[in-house]
This record gives sequence, C-alpha cells and structure tokens, in this order.
Amino acid sequence: MDRKEEDKIIEGITSQEYKEGFVTDIRQDFIPKGLNEDIIRTISSLKQEPSWLLEFRLDAFRKWQQMEMPRWGHLDLPEIDYQDIIYYAAPKRDEDRPKEIDPKLEETFEKLGIPVREREALAGVVAVDAVFDSVSVATTFRASLAEKGIIFCSFSEAVREHPDLVRKYLASVVPSGDNFFAALNSAVFSDGSFCYIPKGVKCPMELSSYFRINAAGTGQFERTLIVADEGSSLSYMEGCTAPMRDENQLHAAVVEIIVEKDADVKYSTVQNWYPGDAQGRGGILNLVTKRGICKGSGSHLSWTQVETGSAITWKYPSTILKGDYSSSEFYSVAVTNNCQQADTGTKMIHIGRGTKSRIVSKGISAGKSQNSYRGLVRMNAGAEGARNYSQCDSLLIGSRCGAHTFPDILSYNPTAIVEHEATTSKISDEQLFYCNQRGLDAEDAVGLIVNGYAHEVLSRLPMEFAVEATKLLQVSLEGSVG
Amino acid sequence: MASNSSDKIIDHGNYVPTPVPSRPVAASGLRPYSAAAKREWTQPWPDAATAAPEAVFVDEGEFKEVYLQTPVPANFVVGAGAKLDVTIVVLPGITANIPVTVDITGPEAEVNLKGLYLCSGTDEVTFDVTVHHRVQGCVSHQLFNGLASGSAKCAFFGKIIVAPDAQRTEAYQENHNIVLSDQAKVNTKPQLEIYADDVRCSHGATVGKLNEDEQFYMRSRGIPEGEARVLQMISFVAPVLDGLEDEGLATRIEAAIRSLADR
Repeated sequence: MDRKEEDKIIEGITSQEYKEGFVTDIRQDFIPKGLNEDIIRTISSLKQEPSWLLEFRLDAFRKWQQMEMPRWGHLDLPEIDYQDIIYYAAPKRDEDRPKEIDPKLEETFEKLGIPVREREALAGVVAVDAVFDSVSVATTFRASLAEKGIIFCSFSEAVREHPDLVRKYLASVVPSGDNFFAALNSAVFSDGSFCYIPKGVKCPMELSSYFRINAAGTGQFERTLIVADEGSSLSYMEGCTAPMRDENQLHAAVVEIIVEKDADVKYSTVQNWYPGDAQGRGGILNLVTKRGICKGSGSHLSWTQVETGSAITWKYPSTILKGDYSSSEFYSVAVTNNCQQADTGTKMIHIGRGTKSRIVSKGISAGKSQNSYRGLVRMNAGAEGARNYSQCDSLLIGSRCGAHTFPDILSYNPTAIVEHEATTSKISDEQLFYCNQRGLDAEDAVGLIVNGYAHEVLSRLPMEFAVEATKLLQVSLEGSVG
Repeated sequence: MASNSSDKIIDHGNYVPTPVPSRPVAASGLRPYSAAAKREWTQPWPDAATAAPEAVFVDEGEFKEVYLQTPVPANFVVGAGAKLDVTIVVLPGITANIPVTVDITGPEAEVNLKGLYLCSGTDEVTFDVTVHHRVQGCVSHQLFNGLASGSAKCAFFGKIIVAPDAQRTEAYQENHNIVLSDQAKVNTKPQLEIYADDVRCSHGATVGKLNEDEQFYMRSRGIPEGEARVLQMISFVAPVLDGLEDEGLATRIEAAIRSLADR
C-alpha cells in the first residue's frame, strides 16, 4: 500500500472514530454555575431530599473544602475550576405528559443501543437504569424485579421510597471524607442507581446503568449503591458515553458495593467516555472512586472493566476482603491512544482469614498516550492463609507512548502468600508477519493480536458487553498503526 | 472548566530525565573503592547521606564487587559495552536505608544487580533501587531476596526506567520475600516506567512463607524440622549467591541463616 492511500485510510478512520459524540438538542433545566452551600441546598431541594441527606451533603462539602486536589497520579491533570462547573442539569419535563419519556431522549438512548423500553435484548433480558446528565430518565423491568423483592431504581427514588436502606448503607464503604473526589461527589451527587437484592435471591436478569453526559459545561456526579444480602447473586453492568467537545468535562462518581455472607456480585464496566481528539483537546476527566466490601464470610465480588475512553482515567476499583474465606477478582483492559492518559488499577485489602484475590490487568498504549497500572495488595496481620496473585501486562504500540507499572505489596502475615508479575513488550514482528502472510493487513492483524492479548479479560464480560468491548478495542486502536 | 489549547503537550506523564552524576575531574576509567571505604561495618549502617561514597564510573571492562556489611555507593554509571556485577549482602543486626541508582549511559552495556537481606530482631532494611536505561541495546537483571524474622521490617522499592530512545532494552527485576514470624513486615514496590516500545521488561515480586510440603518431605526422610527450615532458606538465597566463589562469605551467610532459624 503506498503512503498516500494509507494516509487516506487512517484519516477516514480518525474522523469517524467516536460515533457516540453527538449532542441531543433538548430543553434542559440548569442551576447556576459554581459550588457553595446554596448550590448544594438547591440540588437537595430539587430532589426533594430529607434533611439527613442534606446534612450529609453539607458535611461532605465542609470536608472537601479542607482538602487539596491530589497530584500523585502519573498524569498531567489540567487545572479544574470547580466554580466553573454546572452541578445539576436535567431535561425539562413535558408538562402535558409527565409520566412519559421525552421521545428525543428515547431516540438518544435508542441511538446508543440502550433500550429504555422493556424488550428482549440480544442474549436475554437486561434491566436498564438510564441516567441523562443529572437525572435518571427511565428504569426498566422494575415491576418484574419487585416480584422477587429486588429493588432496582434511581438513587433519588431510593431515597424517597427506601430511606432506611439508603441511610444504612450510604457511605459505609466510601466515607464522605475518603478522598478529594469522593468528598466532592458526596456533596453534589445527582442521580445514580440503587440496587438491593434480598436474602437468597438470584437476580434473574442482568442489571445495568447507562450514563450519558449531554449538556455543555456540566459535570456528572452519579452515585451507585449496590447491596447484595446473604446468599444472593447479581451481575451488574455499567456503560457510559458523552458528546465530543473541545473542553474537558468532569465525571466524579462513587460506586459502593456491599456483599453480605455467601453473596456473589459481578460488576462490569465498559467505559467509553469521549477521549478527546487526536491533539488531546477535550475529553472527559474520569476521576472515580469505586469500592466494594466482602462483608460476610464466603462472599465474592468480581470487577471487570474495559477502559477505552476518557482523556484522563484515574480510578482504582477496590475490594475490602473482611469476611473470612471471601474472595475477589479484578480483570481490566485499559486502552489509551492519542493523548489519553490512564492511571488505573485496584486495591485488595485482605482482613479476613483465608481470603483470596486475583488481579489480571492488561494495558495497551498507542499514539502519545501514557498508561499506568497502580495497585495495592495488603495482607493484614489477621489475614491467616490469605492468597493473592497479580498479573499486569503492558503492550506498546508505537515508540511515543509509555507504559508503567506501580504495584505496592504489603504483607503483615507470615502465612499469607502474594505473587505479582508484570511484563512489558510490543507486538512482535513475527506475529505481524505471520498475519500479513495470511492476507491480513497491518490494522486487522493488530486488532486480532490485541483481542487475543485481552481475551482473558473480555471473556469475563457478560455477552452484550463482550461484543461491544471487542468492537471498541478495534475502534480505539484504529489509526495507531501505519 | 479550563479548555485545552491546541498545542497541548502532555509533559508530566512523559519522560523526565534525571541528571547523571558528574564525573570527578581527575577520574578516568574504573574507580574502585579506597580500602578505607571497604572496611567492614559492625555498627548499624549509618544514614544514606554519610554512607554513600562517590559515584562509581564503569567505562569499560567488568566491575565485579560484593558489598558485605559495607556502605554501597549510591550511584553507578555504566558506559558503552561495560559490565557491572554487584551483589549487596545485608546480614542480621543492621538497620539501613540503601539507595542505589544505576545509570546506563552507553549502548550494549550489561548490568547484574543482586541483593540479599536477612533481617531479624527490630532491623529495618530498605532498598531503593533505580535502574535507568538511557540508551539502546542494554540488558539489566536484578534479583533481590529477603528473609524477615522477629519484628523486622523489610522494604524493597525497585524501579526500572527505560528512556524514549532506549530501544532493544531488556530489563528484568525479581524480588522474593519470606516472612518467618508474625511480627515481621514486608513491603515491596516493583515499578516499571517505560517510554520506548521495542523492549522486553518484566518484574516479579512475591511474599510468602516456607513451603510446608517441602518440610514434610524432608522430615519424613529423617531431617529434623529446624534443619529442614535451614535447608529451605539456603536454597531460597542460593540464586543470589550464584557465581560467587567466596567460601568465607558462604559460611557467614549460613551462620546468619541458622541464627534466623533458631528464633
């Protein structure tokens, strides 16, 4: 292929790379820019919240004011002006039909492939909670889930309808003063999903949340709370997209998961926020706190994440293994291209006896991107016979990107066993040559090799997600070879 | 929120070269230690600031040294085609912070860095090792093994940095630890910072205990438990000492291991 033709193909691909980058033209309610106690009171009153929740927000805000923006990440973070963000934006309700979803919104989610009406999806039934900017617009299959006692609704509804449950578990895993962004989220969080699986119930369908940022100048601060009571099981998925803009938008969410005795939760994320353009303009700053606790004995929590979007990703989905013989896994594929930066990984805190954890992280960096794995494995003195295995591999495509690994292992128990290994390499010429020989061009060959490399993680995803993630990997890396 | 200008350059995440230690004017070629600096330390290891002798420049040939209970130079600068082979041994009874930076400034150089730390009582031993590949075509191997007993604290911070132009680099790092007692603590942070793509880099770190199956095997063949533990520990440290032919050193290390096993 001659140079010109190749350039043309690459150009064609880069111009179509982010197909979720459209803006929905819809009338929206905003509150004024800025962050102060009045804004927090406004958000709270818009959501008709009880006074204890307002107190919680204000307390978090006061903590946040005392905190400083963390700088230790292997990232080049732009200055964030917290007074220049709109903290609440919601699509206007149509006064004539207050019960129905705005057709434009429905169209938006349809375009994104998210069914906001109940219907059969690709591989069975998926219940969706669709969040648009600061509010949840629809939650499907609520009635059929309620028959089994499962509560699945937006966070605001949960506060109104199940205040006791929310109050009991809110901030029990991520305290409001946990870190800078968790404190910010606790102060201004808008909507998110709430999910409660009662004792002994196996959730009959996949539950999922879909987050969409639409309005300019806003940030999204959703809060997700998942409680799996004794012996229950759940598979939860999370997806997200945003329009293409030249400015950065902040996304600072908190996800809390409580896993009681013998319960089993699987949490999967396909993160596809707008990554910015090839010159590094715009994109979402994805600064998220996700943490779960395996509270009871024999509980199990599994994290699976595919990170392809965001200008900056800075998050560590973590598990506190408190119950004896509880276990946790973390499977991650993080892809960075162009000027994207990712500093992601996990923390496994072993407290209980016989706890087990496994970490598999695959980083892929291309273009001028920087991709870091950072992780903590901590064996407390009481973690008798605990076991961890971590594997972090990095794949480099192109000579201008960076791949970094920063694990931290702490062992305070002589019977605990921790193993960590990491490798960094590029796609070998032999592999490419082999594929080329069999008629695959360079781009397809790289796609094939990358998919094989990430297979161990992708195979853990629920079916709908696996298909999407495989496609995303391909799109994210397009234009990086040649 | 601040919007980015079009000429945005990601620089923080990018490679920031630290300066290479400057060479003393009179120095040329190999600068081995003065005899005084090699004198053995029986006292606890002094602070890094007072212990660190000047940098060692290895311009050609092979520099092979074992640092047993002696201060370790904080910097090694390895030139083109040169070979560095350094083994650091820390015996029980020493509290030390040992920073070692190896700068590889010439192509086709080879670095072999090994360490062994046997800690007991209230020892606190910290290794802070950086191997900086600044040029292409070099190979580095690191192997650090440690045993922690009593209420000792061992820490290993190891970093491999591969500069953007240091293609065809091979850099490997291993750190293994065994915790022998309830109060001992081990912290290990192996790190990779890689800015070139044609590289083969890996690190591995483990923290664990003596294998009970192995003990059972030996005990069922008439080897007492204490002796079995000593044999296990000897085999654990052996890879670090491979290639050294110092009988005296071997005897001292065995004695140190026996003292750990007794506790």
